[in-house]
Amino acid sequence: MREKVRTRVFFIFGGIFLFFFCYSAIDLPPWGSYRGPYGDVIARVSVYERHATDSVNAINYDYRAFDTLGEEFILFAAVLGVMMLLRRDEDESTRDVVKVEDRHPLSTTVRAAAMPAIALTVVFGFYIGLHGQLTPGGGFQAGVILASVPFLLYVCENTESFRRITSHTTVEAIEALGAGSYALIGLASLVLGMPFLSNFLPLGTTGGVFSSGTIALISACIGLEVTAAFLLVGYAYLEEIITGEIPED
Amino acid sequence: MPNALHLFPYFVSGWLFFCGLYGLVTSRHLVHSVMCLAVLQSSTYTLLLGIGYRVGGAAPIFADIPPGTVTVDPIVQALMLTDVVVEAVVVALLLAMVVKAHEKSGTVSPDELRTLRG
Amino acid sequence: MSAPSPLTPLPVAVPLVGAALIACFRKWLNRTMADALGVFFAVATLAISCSLLARAVHGNSVYWFGNWVPRGAIVLGIGFVADPIGVGLAVVASTLTLFSLVYAWRLTDSGSNHFQPLILIFLAAMCGFSLTVDVFNLFVFFELMSTAAFALCGLKTREPAPLQGSFNFAVTNTIAAFLILTSIGLLYSVTGALNMAQIGLALGTRHDPLVLFAFALLICGFFVKAAIVPFHLWLPDAHAVAPTPVCVLFSGMMVQLGLFAVARLRFTIFAQTFAGHEASLRLILLSLGVATVLVGGLMCYAEHHLKRMLAFSTICHAGIMLLALGLGTPLALAGMFVYLLAHAFIKGGLFFTAGLLLHRLRAIGERALFAKGKELRWTAALWFLGALGLAAAPPFLLMTGEAGISKAAEEIGTPWISCVCVFGGMITAAAVLRIGMHTFFGWGSQPATDEPAEVGELPETAKEDRRTYWYQFAPAAVCILVPFALAVIPGWQHVLRDACAVFSSQATMLHLVYTGAAVSGHLSGWQPALKTSALRGFSAFVLAALLASTSIFKLRLKRNMRFGAFLESGLRPLRIFQSGHPGDYVLWLTIGLASLSAASVLLLRR
Repeated sequence: MREKVRTRVFFIFGGIFLFFFCYSAIDLPPWGSYRGPYGDVIARVSVYERHATDSVNAINYDYRAFDTLGEEFILFAAVLGVMMLLRRDEDESTRDVVKVEDRHPLSTTVRAAAMPAIALTVVFGFYIGLHGQLTPGGGFQAGVILASVPFLLYVCENTESFRRITSHTTVEAIEALGAGSYALIGLASLVLGMPFLSNFLPLGTTGGVFSSGTIALISACIGLEVTAAFLLVGYAYLEEIITGEIPED
Repeated sequence: MPNALHLFPYFVSGWLFFCGLYGLVTSRHLVHSVMCLAVLQSSTYTLLLGIGYRVGGAAPIFADIPPGTVTVDPIVQALMLTDVVVEAVVVALLLAMVVKAHEKSGTVSPDELRTLRG
Repeated sequence: MSAPSPLTPLPVAVPLVGAALIACFRKWLNRTMADALGVFFAVATLAISCSLLARAVHGNSVYWFGNWVPRGAIVLGIGFVADPIGVGLAVVASTLTLFSLVYAWRLTDSGSNHFQPLILIFLAAMCGFSLTVDVFNLFVFFELMSTAAFALCGLKTREPAPLQGSFNFAVTNTIAAFLILTSIGLLYSVTGALNMAQIGLALGTRHDPLVLFAFALLICGFFVKAAIVPFHLWLPDAHAVAPTPVCVLFSGMMVQLGLFAVARLRFTIFAQTFAGHEASLRLILLSLGVATVLVGGLMCYAEHHLKRMLAFSTICHAGIMLLALGLGTPLALAGMFVYLLAHAFIKGGLFFTAGLLLHRLRAIGERALFAKGKELRWTAALWFLGALGLAAAPPFLLMTGEAGISKAAEEIGTPWISCVCVFGGMITAAAVLRIGMHTFFGWGSQPATDEPAEVGELPETAKEDRRTYWYQFAPAAVCILVPFALAVIPGWQHVLRDACAVFSSQATMLHLVYTGAAVSGHLSGWQPALKTSALRGFSAFVLAALLASTSIFKLRLKRNMRFGAFLESGLRPLRIFQSGHPGDYVLWLTIGLASLSAASVLLLRR
């Protein structure tokens, strides 16, 4: 179909869809007047039942922990897919695109300025990850923050230092370990006679770092997995386009 | 007829969905298509978060407020939280497809990639 | 028995642990070990699902994750319902996955051992999808299934076509996922609940445009997965380029799970919404079903690429299943599930056989395969038995499903549905027969060059392979023979019928979720309809053979009798719709979305 025809037909039918969307949205409760019972009940009881002051993470890692297991494995499957799609062909002769050489690291000043930033980011990442059950944070956010550190190194230096920090085999193993541990925690509660993904660890005191039982543990596993996932994706993309040699000067 | 301002975020969500679909239909570059999917994703987030908001409600973090305070809905936030990170990696998967397609065919325009025609 | 089995979460947990294990030690495992681990976990899942099925036959049970039982009317956690239908789907999924993993032993390329974990994750998603009663959990497993499928579809990275097929698949199905999420959001805003039973209870007979629009979005999303017209365009592209074991799983299970989800949601959430509007809903669903059967069947006959032809026949049969779903009675539902079961195995068997042809004859297009299969007698036998099965001829199970559907159609007053079913079976069987006669007997003349049939030509197995191994042939043979076996073994069909009586009742679901007690149901059988169904199936097969012959022997026939040949060439202009361009596919999706929303909101309101 030619582009003009496509655009015109789309405006007609897309417009019809938009019209019905707005027509139905009129029946929605007015914005700002959330009524439903589900969120209110959990907001009220999550502190008492699970000693977790962050009810959003209590939902993610306890009340609806099984959903998060599924989402974590979506991440896992997507990373497996990226690695599979960008895997190295046995014969490089079928490659049509030429790889580029690695570049030189940036100047010493830039690298010196980056080091405190990296140190701060690492500390901040661990802080966010460990306090997920108390304040906004948790495994997913911590994973993303910690994963940005090797990328910062890549920006300041070159692919070589990125590869040095993230050994491919280790990072893959850590990712699978993080993903598998989540499922194993669930199985552990089965072994103990409780339903899958029950909170079986001691709950501790509200407000302490080691509180709310398995919520903190699951959060840590997810943090491991997300960090490793982003590093693997970055590794696969860089591997696709950059050779291992640094150009001679 | 409720005040239109009370429904504005929902209309924004619908408009974002429309824009995402428009981008996909008229796209001439596969990377652009993938980013239009991200726009569609934002439309669902706008809708969900708009549904969960409560005027005057605090954040559902009880570290410094007593439990029982009026808060916004934590459920939609929990639903969205994991989705954001997950969809970022799914976008990476789609971009990997685009990279490989470019490597094998030399082009990223859907009009020129027609080996599956018919 | 109402106490839930502690094994209930295991069909999801065990494959996930297996996938993580294989991925963890991927670099150190050689191919054989990774394959062995994959098969081990698939067998474990199959064993667990079978034991769950044995227990579910005695009564449904509900399993609450994290021990979060409902409090009053509010459901706090996520629940799995182990009913014979859901667990039965998990059993079928595990069986087909096991066969796929066994068949994949011969594939040269396992994506450096990424293939096995992805298949296990796909299995876990399918099992979770069939068992859950929480809409957001359903969405999560939908996304998990889709993501694993995108990756698996693009396994063959040496050619440009798999990446495009995979990309088109990914774009359309991601839009479907967002449609479902939007619908979940709308339902959540109205009811404040994410559990299907609670949403159904809270919606009651509520009928405003919001609920109808949410319904339209939901079915659009799942119909993209189920490849219903006009959302079907991604399926042939994905099947043309995916490796054989992956095609089996797509056509055999994934597509049909979309229809299962619509059935589950329609009877649990929207049961009271449509009370009194059955006729309008039936009109919408039946017209979509008829369109799907027509488009799928006609395009199937016009195809010369084996896997694309089978993909279009999947679309045709999905249309027939949608007709059953559209009828809406428990008997129609029972017919649909029997049809689903039979179709899963027959289509899987046909795909495995097509894979055998690709392996032995190194080609997958009708022109390239012409007269080359004369020595492959057992493969030919499987192929023609598959055609018999597709036509719903006796004694295959598809005929029993069709009997249920026809009897339900008669009760409603729409007996013409059986004619549509006969047409669907006939034309898909005719395509299979035509290709079989060309390939295995060499009758007729070599077909003209067909460019789209050249796609996916690279064989999946090593060049030195010239024999068919038992582990390639066995999955094909077992898949084709299972529907035959199930049709003659008595005693299980009444279990399925009673389970459908329970499945289609919102009250029993509410009772189960809130009190944990199972309620049993009963549904009378379709014995009287079996004879007429057998007659219909047999005549469908005969007509199919005639049609295929007019295509093959066209030079010996008079001009106006060359009906088959006319169909083959005359439908070629229709193939411009299958353009391979993602923008076109999204446009058709938008057209379908707009039409369904308009139809829902306008036709179904008070």
